[in-house]
Amino acid sequence: MEYLYYLYTMVNLKLKIARVECRLSQQELADLCDVTRQTIGLIEKGKYNPTLNLCIKISRVLNKTLNDLFWDENE
Amino acid sequence: MKTNNKKPFLNMDERNRQVANKVISIMYFLTIIAMVGIIFYRQFVIGQAIREFEDIAVILTVNSLFLLSALLYFGAIPIRQLKLKSIVLIYFLMIILGSLFTYTKYNIFESPGLSYEQLFEKLIIIILIISLIFLFYIIFSILGNRKLDKELE
Repeated sequence: MEYLYYLYTMVNLKLKIARVECRLSQQELADLCDVTRQTIGLIEKGKYNPTLNLCIKISRVLNKTLNDLFWDENE
Repeated sequence: MKTNNKKPFLNMDERNRQVANKVISIMYFLTIIAMVGIIFYRQFVIGQAIREFEDIAVILTVNSLFLLSALLYFGAIPIRQLKLKSIVLIYFLMIILGSLFTYTKYNIFESPGLSYEQLFEKLIIIILIISLIFLFYIIFSILGNRKLDKELE
């Protein structure tokens, strides 16, 4: 359970799930958001904190709200 | 699926820019430290006269002056949160450091050293220069704050 919580907080699984639901690869999402594939990869891994502007861009592309993708209820 | 608003030469995203800025800042800091080291080495180890490394000293002085001014002007330093007591403390600390440096330079590394009268004259020059630098910084922070306030209107 602890491991799952760690995974949940350290890795942005919500973003990954939303991207897969939209049938987009990291590269495609990156192109649509005008960033590099590495940036999307790092956000999904929880190793980069995107700016609010990029969060909004990603949310719009994936047709989700900011809460859906970036809000952590456990914090 | 691809968007066409990419720059033709170098399309940096926010993370690339953030990393680049971090690397540039560290390298800039190291360069400044190296230049200070060179000046100290030339002055105190090799014993060169100031005119022999005046160019480096001028670049370093102008650079650090404008760096702090730019930080104050663009609002990187929250000057409004600084208390007057802290500013006065920094001012006197700079005077003490300047005086110590001058005393070390003339009375420890050079002989015969300066007399008390000559040291007093140097102290007046130090106070004058530091006061001018502080005035310069105050003007820049006032201008920067005005600019920020105007943008908020």
